[in-house]
Amino acid sequence: MAEEDSLVTLVTRYQHRLYRYLLRLVRDPATAEDLFQQTWLRVVQNIRRYDALRSFEAWLFSVAHNLAIDHLRRQRLESLDEPPAEPAASDPDALERCLASERAGLVAASMSELPALYREVLTLRFEEELKLEEIAEVVHAPLSTVKSRLRRALESLRSKLETRV
Amino acid sequence: MSEHQTVGELLALAAAGVLTAGEQRRVEDHARACEACARQLEAWRALSGELRRLPTPAAPAELVARTRARVFEELAAAAERRWDDAVLVFLSLFAWTVGVAVWAIVRLVNNGLLALLDARFTEPVIWLTASSVLAWLTAGVVAVLVGHRRRMTWRNL
Repeated sequence: MAEEDSLVTLVTRYQHRLYRYLLRLVRDPATAEDLFQQTWLRVVQNIRRYDALRSFEAWLFSVAHNLAIDHLRRQRLESLDEPPAEPAASDPDALERCLASERAGLVAASMSELPALYREVLTLRFEEELKLEEIAEVVHAPLSTVKSRLRRALESLRSKLETRV
Repeated sequence: MSEHQTVGELLALAAAGVLTAGEQRRVEDHARACEACARQLEAWRALSGELRRLPTPAAPAELVARTRARVFEELAAAAERRWDDAVLVFLSLFAWTVGVAVWAIVRLVNNGLLALLDARFTEPVIWLTASSVLAWLTAGVVAVLVGHRRRMTWRNL
């Protein structure tokens, strides 16, 4: 009974964050809902393997990451390779003009155009507020890779925002 | 690479708050002396702020309710599987114990009670074989039943 209560509490606690992460990654609400359920079932099946010394958030997102990446690989709708670096923004003023206007929708729209790996690292860092080490654990990549991926993701987002303004 | 260029590559990460204390200090020291980098750092910080304040899409209430129900089902199925495993282990141990113990018992009573039966079961080897076959048959049937139940449980998930 205690196990049931704990798991239901966890589902409630992480419902919006997990859904947001999956939605940012796969972009399709129906797929995100399906993966949301699959993630919790996987958590229930493997809860005895969870090391309580580790961050539960990182473990949860890691389970969701594996399922989402498997889904994206099966779909083959978008590349999961690391894209080449884009040139840095040439006009800083353009970014400042962007930032001065109301544009949460614009940022979200630009973010959704980024490759999956970039969307993922941005949402994990800025929305889920995970540390770099936790992100590395979720995406199963070395710290240096996560760091450079985050920088490239930010630069790509900035480029996209500038072209939209 | 000049200090300006090196720091320039760290500005986005500085705004993201993922640099080491030393790197962060290096960026801030340079930005205090370099107006261009200071403006860039401010722009990256603004962008980071925008990302942190993006509206959170709420998980549909119906999805959460459905997930909770599935979690309960899965927990119940897991408990049943653990019980089945325990039964299976017990029966296997029981079959082995019977197989070994019967031999000793037959040896003990061979010249007493069994002699009265005047049957071929008084032969220890035949008795041991018959009881072992019975024990293993029982365990086998239970294993098949447990396996069948498990398959049905998985199919319903």
